[in-house]
Amino acid sequence: MCFGLMLVAGTALADGPVRLRFTVWDGDESLKILRGLVKKFESENPGITVSLENFDYALYHQKMLTQYAADSAPDVAMMDPQHFMALAKRKAIIPLNSLYESDPNFKIDDYYKEIVDVHSDGKELFVMPRDIAPMSMIYYNKRLFKEAGIPYPDGSWTWDFDVRPELKEKDFFWVMRQLTKIGEGNKIKQFGYAPAWPQLFTDCLMYSSGQRYVDDQKAPRRLNYNRPEVKKVFDFVVDLMNEKRWTPSALEVSSVLMSTTQQLFTQQKIAMFQSGIWEVPNMRKALKPGSKEFFDWDICLFPKFKDGTLATPSGGSGYSIFSSTKHKDAAWKLVKFMAGEPGMRAMAQAGIAQPAIKSLALSDCWIPNQSTPLEQQWPANRIATHNAVPFVIFNPPADYWPEVQSQIDGRVNNVYNDVMPVSEAMSQAQRDGTQRLSMLLREEDLPSFNWFYGLLVGLVLTLTVLGIVYWPERKVKYTLRERRESISGYKFAMPFLIGFLVFTLGPMMLSLVMSFLRWDMIIPAQLRGFGNYREALMEDPRFWISIKVTLLYSIISVPLGILAALGLALLLNQKVRGVSIFRAIYYLPSIGSAVAGALIMRKVFSPDGGLLNAVIYHPIVEKFTHLGTTMSHWVGKPNDQINWLGSEKTAMFAVVIMSLWGIGGSMVILLAGLQGVPPFYYEAATMDGASPWQKLRLITFPMLTPSLFFCLITGVIGAFQMFTQVFVLFNNTGGPNDSVLVYMIPLYNAAFMSLRMGYASALAWILFFIILFATFVNFRLNKLVYYEADTK
Amino acid sequence: MSEQLKYQKATKRAQVGFTIARFVMWLVLVVGSFAFLAPLYLMLAMSLKTPAELGATVAWAWPKAPTFENFQIVLTNPNASFIMFFKNSTIIAVLSTSGVVITSALVAYAFSRLKFRGRDRLFVLLLSTMMLPGIVTMIPTYVLYKYLHWVDTFYPLWVPAWFGGGAFNIFLMRQFFMGIPRELDEAAILDGAHHSTIFWRILLPNAGAALATVGIFAFIGAWKDFMGPLIYLNDPNKQTLEDGLRTYQSLQSEKWELLMAGSVLVMIPLVILFLVGQRFFVKGIVMSGIK
Repeated sequence: MCFGLMLVAGTALADGPVRLRFTVWDGDESLKILRGLVKKFESENPGITVSLENFDYALYHQKMLTQYAADSAPDVAMMDPQHFMALAKRKAIIPLNSLYESDPNFKIDDYYKEIVDVHSDGKELFVMPRDIAPMSMIYYNKRLFKEAGIPYPDGSWTWDFDVRPELKEKDFFWVMRQLTKIGEGNKIKQFGYAPAWPQLFTDCLMYSSGQRYVDDQKAPRRLNYNRPEVKKVFDFVVDLMNEKRWTPSALEVSSVLMSTTQQLFTQQKIAMFQSGIWEVPNMRKALKPGSKEFFDWDICLFPKFKDGTLATPSGGSGYSIFSSTKHKDAAWKLVKFMAGEPGMRAMAQAGIAQPAIKSLALSDCWIPNQSTPLEQQWPANRIATHNAVPFVIFNPPADYWPEVQSQIDGRVNNVYNDVMPVSEAMSQAQRDGTQRLSMLLREEDLPSFNWFYGLLVGLVLTLTVLGIVYWPERKVKYTLRERRESISGYKFAMPFLIGFLVFTLGPMMLSLVMSFLRWDMIIPAQLRGFGNYREALMEDPRFWISIKVTLLYSIISVPLGILAALGLALLLNQKVRGVSIFRAIYYLPSIGSAVAGALIMRKVFSPDGGLLNAVIYHPIVEKFTHLGTTMSHWVGKPNDQINWLGSEKTAMFAVVIMSLWGIGGSMVILLAGLQGVPPFYYEAATMDGASPWQKLRLITFPMLTPSLFFCLITGVIGAFQMFTQVFVLFNNTGGPNDSVLVYMIPLYNAAFMSLRMGYASALAWILFFIILFATFVNFRLNKLVYYEADTK
Repeated sequence: MSEQLKYQKATKRAQVGFTIARFVMWLVLVVGSFAFLAPLYLMLAMSLKTPAELGATVAWAWPKAPTFENFQIVLTNPNASFIMFFKNSTIIAVLSTSGVVITSALVAYAFSRLKFRGRDRLFVLLLSTMMLPGIVTMIPTYVLYKYLHWVDTFYPLWVPAWFGGGAFNIFLMRQFFMGIPRELDEAAILDGAHHSTIFWRILLPNAGAALATVGIFAFIGAWKDFMGPLIYLNDPNKQTLEDGLRTYQSLQSEKWELLMAGSVLVMIPLVILFLVGQRFFVKGIVMSGIK
């Protein structure tokens, strides 16, 4: 039976003549259309079957790299300008030039030049563009404009750092102010404007006022976050969010209004909403003509700067072919179909994606006319998307950029989350970003590495460990019966022996070897010596932050957890009414799913309407303890309820509280320990007239030391390796200002996001030594406690 | 006042004190259980609300008209098939649990009953692997699986379980075996029984509680594993519930009623397993005496 299941569990064998794996990241809407397109493609190309797979964007590019490294890459994959270089450089995706040049029906000049250029490395094209997505579309609510007596924007408006009332509707910020309505208690009833995400707004202002974050938009070598002009734009945005309040802060949207800006727009709480064109299907769905939610709306372009400069941040995407494909021709057919007229037309009609082929973007599949069905009429002014194309600016496509970007984003988000003043965040972004950038740009000339020697070293180390086990007993004489028993012993222990060699000791030694290499599993390994360790200890600022955070977390959560578990175990060891139900209740959360737990914790900790705040800010609690106000003062926002996950001072608390929710595991072990204490000890003590406290101190604790010790050791080891909760709770980041950047997050990212296996192995070994040291200290501590109790 | 009366009063006072102490303990436990159950309650309450009600009411209010619509939406989403996730999780959990239970018992038998060269040092080595952070071996084993072409299959998630099933389980099982009287197997040896006979006929039938404990631990561990599937599985149709839930989160970022319905679906099997097996937990651990 087992074998049957094994076959089920294994990979399905390829069947049929040609089967293509086609991966994308996309929303529910686009997937529906893609499925239809795949069917159509299959019927037009008999003999080719396509399996469509969807990943979420956050992990997409990492999965593509690791899949390629593991020889399980798809044939055709969706790709975007920011990420294709990492694959192209490793020759994981192929240049498409020879394919389209030899195809008589294909004309690359039909495509917008801007999106073709950004998908090339200067010489060759690696991604066949399917869409271009200027992100400066302002969706506006016509009804609210009419109510306020403001003419609809025609795209001729401009902006400046000051409101210019004399320009009236030609001044963007005047319009924004007019459309913001403040209700009772200084609560905003209606916001003038909101971007889909805060950085989008900043980008538009930055680019059109002529500023750039980097010196070279294609291959940045220097950052500009320390420039006063860049700071000025950030200051301006923060002022709009927090002081003028014409646009909601990120925090207000996600936690106070518990919504997205897109939803707020369709609920008419925002008059102007900025995003890319991909919001259209959701808008159409929410605002069906004739329904009671419906109001008239349209799009226009983000304003020019006062000097007439127009610039728009842009996205875009396309399809690439992996070099590992066995069906290059079929793959090209699919790419041509999806990134050609059939694919683009379907996407355009659904309103999702602006075609990358210029003539299609100007045709009636994109620009509505009288014959367009009613539900596809909105938005009418779709020509704006075409007008924006000459002014698009893409994020740097350099392969090293995403890593620098994530470093910077961590700092910049502090501004939007209102946990750090702009000047401080900017100087940190400049410092940390530059550090990472120079590290990635540094060309190291390293000797190539011969795996033969690596494996040899691993083998020698492995044999040494085995020798240490076997050597001292090699000369012990066994009788016949003993020898037979010994053989049986090895037989029974065989699973462990093999498993230990193959899955523990061998890999350990291999990882030790790897920690001295630079290796991404694709490009041949190079010997880096102590470079990885040096980088971690001396160059990577996030390393020390993560050490600090992890130590702090362990020092708080482990003792607290053990104390709480001990208290619970003592209570649950009494003959209290309903004790078995209580045991079940306290144990239940610890077995629950960590992802579900982290999800629900987002609701528990949310600043407005969260469960925790509801308790500590409850009038009764407040009256007796002032807990809520004290906490608010301490966080630095005396008027607001605490945003547990969004503030760097409280994020760690939230994570610790969450860990306390799962103390059931240690509780059961301690409970078992308590029940293992022979009852006659207590009986004897009672005879001798011992008080309950004496019994606890002189019998229970000493008897419980082994269990406590076990909890301590496993608790510390677990705390140092905490990963899932932070990964889910903070989306694979270190939380506000890296205040919960536990060690495993950078480690995971080094290994499986950047494929820096050598560096990640070095990090793993450093962690191993830290844990070894902590365990050693615990052992000493244990001896101390135990003997003290023993001698009394 | 007679001596007897004094004595009676004193006992009465002690009894009252005792009752009060018990009541206080009980009260602490009740308050604590509310805190422990609140998040689970919140999860359930939100999963039973319509989006409109969710937006209009406070999160912890019980839905006026509980609806199972959310579960239906979650279960029928073509882009994240919870039924498929459920099947995958079950296959992986069953295969790895069987491996853990069977092989940890075998290994534990060797360490508890048989004498062989290097046994005690090996046992120390075994225990020390408990201190080894999993991440140290994770990267090279990933490379190993890459060469075996096991990436994007279920093998990396259950095959290792068939090699002893982890130090903790072997240890638990060994401690339990140590508690089974040796006289039983010595008698069998005198009767000429093999070690395998002793294992199958004497030790296993007496180790029900330990087997169940280890089995339940292993099942929950495999079911809850997040990192493994995250790293090894690529095909969205091969995802497990735990990872599928995270994917689902990225698809439905702010649709809390759906996310919570998904969470409830992930939790249900664990809760059932726990309720069925909970009487084994403490018993199994007590009898093995973790020390």
